[in-house]
Amino acid sequence: MLQNSDDAEDAVQEIFVDVWKNAERFDESKASETTFIAMIARRRLIDKIRYSTRRISADSLDDVLLEPFTRADKTLELSMEAEQAAEAMRSLRPEQQQVLRLSIVQGMSHQEISEATGMPLGTVKTHARRGLLQVREVMGLGKRPQEARV
Amino acid sequence: MTDEQKDLLYDLLTKKTVYGLEPGEQAELDRFDPEVVEAEFRSLEITTAAISMASLEIEPLPDHLTSKILASAPSALTPAATDAREPWPPNAKIFTTDDVFDKKPRSSLFGWLGWVAAAIAVAALGFNLYTARFNKPQPEQANVPQVETPRTLTPAEQRAEMMRSSADVIQASWAPGNVKELKGLTGDIVWSDDTQSGYMRFRGLPVNDAKATCYQLWIFDQTQDKATPIDGGAFDVSSDGELIIPINAKLKAVKPEMFAITIERHGGVVVSKREKIAALAKVETHST
Repeated sequence: MLQNSDDAEDAVQEIFVDVWKNAERFDESKASETTFIAMIARRRLIDKIRYSTRRISADSLDDVLLEPFTRADKTLELSMEAEQAAEAMRSLRPEQQQVLRLSIVQGMSHQEISEATGMPLGTVKTHARRGLLQVREVMGLGKRPQEARV
Repeated sequence: MTDEQKDLLYDLLTKKTVYGLEPGEQAELDRFDPEVVEAEFRSLEITTAAISMASLEIEPLPDHLTSKILASAPSALTPAATDAREPWPPNAKIFTTDDVFDKKPRSSLFGWLGWVAAAIAVAALGFNLYTARFNKPQPEQANVPQVETPRTLTPAEQRAEMMRSSADVIQASWAPGNVKELKGLTGDIVWSDDTQSGYMRFRGLPVNDAKATCYQLWIFDQTQDKATPIDGGAFDVSSDGELIIPINAKLKAVKPEMFAITIERHGGVVVSKREKIAALAKVETHST
């Protein structure tokens, strides 16, 4: 597992090079520049960290502390998609929000989320799938598949 | 396609966008209509990237890293390093180092300058995601707000003065969090909406290794989403006995409902994983 700032800086530089190399694939009708670059960044980071097994504790805490929290003065407004995603996330059920945050933002595996939250693994997967599809639908990026019983 | 097959398809697509797939899983995904898979994957990937951006905060890149990135750009932009299949923007030639860094104003260049800014901004996001993932200290977060000791009044005297002079002071007692070693922690927190000031009082809060960790106060306010409490400031404890520490709220707090002290890495964090909660204080009633 990579754990020092040198690794982080290397990752950022690699992302930057990836951005340049993939710039010609950008299609502004599909996403903004920042979202496009974020996609590239995520791919690179997934490659680098997907096998890590970092865990968080599964302590039983006060309701309000069930999820990681972010400083209120650090709201990010990078792109229209990000704003739409934030709005769409608020429309989800709390369990779906929690699973998406833990998986997409915290990088926890479904198994880790299951252990940390006490949800059955199948339930975690269902929340992840349905939550992601619902966010996509609210963002207007795709139709909710008929079978997705959200 | 049956419901089971569709669930499988979207399970695989979800996993691919969030984590990537193992070879066996990819083979399973390859059994579905490639056009459907491609289209669905792209939109889900955009969705996932947008959620990432919506949930993370941008931290400025360290200056030295910005310099390194800019310095590496020329080599990354050589024709050999670029894939020239379909240039973007449409009808544009493949850019060379000279094109991008030419000082002469050109209409086509301005778009790229925007790209440079966007790339650096999102590279910052990547940096933040990566460091957040591995919980590493970030140079730009190293400026721990210091507990300021007034020259004329001690914190204890300031607290007493605030209690005397502010009519709207709320008070809440600390209760243990999830750190076993801190079960004996006692004390309280007082806060005044009018003066936007307050003080934490502790007995039994251990001295921390200031080079590695810090304590950080979070204010859960009625005006803020519970997922984004107000940062009440990071602080270190360097001595035993009763401590009184001023609150250093980063935003205006109106009728706080709860306060939490977390143990974080040196410098404090913008996203707390609430792994170590030293203490909690719930406000039972408001005087106003």
